[in-house]
Amino acid sequence: MKRTYEEINAKIQQGDAVVMTAEEAIKLAESKGIEKAAKEVDIVTTGTFGAMCSSGAFINFGHSEPPIRMKRVWLNGVPAYAGIAAVDAYIGATEEREDYGQPYGGAHVIEDLVAGKAVHLRATAAGTDCYPRKDIDTYISLRTVNQAYMYNPRNIYQNYGVATNSSERALFTYMGKLLPHYGNMTYSSAGQLSPLLKDPHLRTIGIGTRIFMGGGIGYVAWEGTQYKTTPRELNGVPVGSARSLALIGDLRGMSPEFVQALSFTGYGISLGIGIGVPIPILDEDIMRTAVLRDDQIFAPVLDYAIQSRGRKPIAEVSYAQLRSGTVELFGKKVQTSSLSSYYKARIIADRLKRMIEEKEFTLTRPVEQLPRERMQRALDVCSEEDVL
Amino acid sequence: MSKKKINLYFRPEQVNEAITYVLVKEYDLKFNILRADVEEKGGRLLLEVEGRPSQISNGIAYLQSIGVGVKELNEYVEKDLSRCTNCGMCVSICPADAIEMDRQTWEVRFDQSKCIACGLCVSSCPPQAMRLKV
Ligand code: SF4
Ligand code: SF4
Repeated sequence: MKRTYEEINAKIQQGDAVVMTAEEAIKLAESKGIEKAAKEVDIVTTGTFGAMCSSGAFINFGHSEPPIRMKRVWLNGVPAYAGIAAVDAYIGATEEREDYGQPYGGAHVIEDLVAGKAVHLRATAAGTDCYPRKDIDTYISLRTVNQAYMYNPRNIYQNYGVATNSSERALFTYMGKLLPHYGNMTYSSAGQLSPLLKDPHLRTIGIGTRIFMGGGIGYVAWEGTQYKTTPRELNGVPVGSARSLALIGDLRGMSPEFVQALSFTGYGISLGIGIGVPIPILDEDIMRTAVLRDDQIFAPVLDYAIQSRGRKPIAEVSYAQLRSGTVELFGKKVQTSSLSSYYKARIIADRLKRMIEEKEFTLTRPVEQLPRERMQRALDVCSEEDVL
Repeated sequence: MSKKKINLYFRPEQVNEAITYVLVKEYDLKFNILRADVEEKGGRLLLEVEGRPSQISNGIAYLQSIGVGVKELNEYVEKDLSRCTNCGMCVSICPADAIEMDRQTWEVRFDQSKCIACGLCVSSCPPQAMRLKV
């Protein structure tokens, strides 16, 4: 069985494409087998909603009268990076507002913009002959700015380590609060619904792939930062964080249902984004990975009490175990919590399915494949000669 | 029979009084200690009391008469459903099993009646959907 992107898109246009969420495809493959399922289904949709720290948005504010070349920019009090052209800035999700009682950061600014709210803009400048103005204090919204698009250097990790804590005290991490003495375990992947686990070698996902992003439409821009292909595989799927994607998408069209500011006590701010990726069923092989179940996908358990980049996994668990609510670790039953929302992942896979069925979304062949092999490098303290 | 959750506040010199004994003996109340904190400036006891409604109010009146601060606890935390992502972070944090994951719908359910007002879910909810009500 073989299918092409062109055939699939022609079927979408005719309203004949058979689209299933990964959960539905799993059920079908269980009852009819992979071969038949691959024949029947054209597209499998996936979804994930989780904290994605490496996110942010570029905004062009438009020119003021007289013009200003913004040097320092604050959006609702949160510093944005303005070291680019005159009225362009990048607001990073994890940037925080200083001197403020409650958590508020770049992610909140992005959520407010997406929700259609007014955002306070303050900027200062040195003043030049061509840009005489030295400061501005005003309000912007998605209605007033020129461009406002997310560019997220690293989103939707393929898989991710499970966090736990062997120490005596609670730890406050980006994996949430970790209770002492292996008091709990937190994980952050949608497992069998998660996009990059359903096409683990990225045969169909590459530069230019159109995706569901934050409720609107986005694209894969590049390999994500820290993209790596080296982790050990089990059932053809990497055990632990491996590939990731850099994503781009217009804030206009996104919805606060899928773009939500998150804050982790004792750690800081992050952005929760909903992403969905369609997997074209080009052949049986791709169907085989698209219907991998939670009990076939594994993640390493890491002890966050060890504060080193080299910490070794203390166990390996399947997403079926994690999702059951408790996992046995060293003879003790440990309660699990998810940081990513399986509930929302389901909604996203379903929403994407409906968008395709209603011809609002067609599939794209990657313009370029992402690296097949990539190592992740570490940062060491070296001399100038060492790095040459 | 009815049930009530009450927070009792003691001054340091009251900490040793046998009030729970009186509640059982004189007012025929059953209770559960949900939480107890003792600090320099006194103590706090969170009780779930069970008994006839008239006995509960008599018991409370007795406590007030001996100078114990009494505050009824109805709803301590509330969940903003529009912000809750149903992630489940709060599930393993809650020491009272008041928060559960529904494994059919993958929605997170909060049972106010089991809540012991520790506040841990408030600080561990990433989208800040759990809030203190008091
Ligand atoms: S931690 Fe917050 S968002 Fe997550 S399920 Fe609990 S209340 Fe909802
Ligand atoms: S305050 Fe939150 S964590 Fe504490 S008992 Fe109530 S629901 Fe559970």
